[in-house]
Amino acid sequence: MPVTLTYEMPELVLAAPLDIHRSSVLPEWVDWNDHMNVAFYVLAFDQASGAFMRNMGLGRSYVDSKLGMTFVLETHVTYDRELRQGAPMRFSTQLLDRDAKRVHLHHEMFHAEQGYLAATNEVIVMNIDFTTRRSAPWPVQAADRLERIWQAHKGLPRPARAGRVMGLGRPPASQAPHRSPGKAASS
Amino acid sequence: MKLPPYPIVDLDLGAPLDRHRATVLKDWIDWNGHMNVGYYVVAFDKATDVLCEQFGCSWEYTREKIGMTFVLEAHVTYDREVREGDPLRITTQLLDYDAKRLHYMHKMHHGSEGYLAATNELMLINIDYASRRSAPWPDWAMPRIERMAAVHAALPRPEQAGRLIGIKRK
Repeated sequence: MPVTLTYEMPELVLAAPLDIHRSSVLPEWVDWNDHMNVAFYVLAFDQASGAFMRNMGLGRSYVDSKLGMTFVLETHVTYDRELRQGAPMRFSTQLLDRDAKRVHLHHEMFHAEQGYLAATNEVIVMNIDFTTRRSAPWPVQAADRLERIWQAHKGLPRPARAGRVMGLGRPPASQAPHRSPGKAASS
Repeated sequence: MKLPPYPIVDLDLGAPLDRHRATVLKDWIDWNGHMNVGYYVVAFDKATDVLCEQFGCSWEYTREKIGMTFVLEAHVTYDREVREGDPLRITTQLLDYDAKRLHYMHKMHHGSEGYLAATNELMLINIDYASRRSAPWPDWAMPRIERMAAVHAALPRPEQAGRLIGIKRK
């Protein structure tokens, strides 16, 4: 039986892609290369996933009311360009697929002022029952919202970086200047 | 052969490389009561430092303003939760390399219970310090990469390598 949510739901945003999350590069996210460290891109993207989940009605209240949680199963990041301390970020999120308990999201992270693509993140998020800590169907209202969001997103073109498989034989698709594809020396 | 202006560790030819240990810190825990997805990558990135140290391309490499290493792409599978204080053991397998890149896979295990907690496949590129653009591995690194890759080539390819993300339907 899917859970019914009892707390007040935020206003549903149906604009596609979802373009509401903003943040900036914190000092503690910068590493010895003087740019945002790889891990904190993932943290920043996780907050963008959080914004998507809130739009489904599954924000902090979902966990605080001990109804459920959402867990990331898998994530794939392309690092397209560096970001320095304090850089403002804008996130755009497209729903690529969904089922009864999972969503497949694609985030793009942009430098909010200069506009360049800094990174992309493809992610699978699954709904979790609070008590059993195992996968469970989306709560009733969340499933309803997800279907409406899907109707709004499903017509968007598929992002260029979605569905990537890593390997030296397929050089990174980025236009970033430091990425010149090398010749595979080991093959 | 050009040598770096700092000592390099003895090359560890154990396969996979099995040198990195860590503990899940309190700051790494999120409101779900487990290590947050971002901090798995913090832990994995430290294991990348340990790998690069084998090639003389870790902290001193940047401190001496010779070069840096940048991650181009990363894929993480989150296989099981870990909690605050849990010990972590991270092993690393080189999958491929070329004149300026490394393709490798980390596996994170619970240090005492042994279960697989996560995997991280990565593409890393060598960067020239001054130009901040890609450059061939330094003289001292390349033979070490070749020797490690030759030993790691005998390992079976990890089942998590080369994954495509998607909702699989039965």
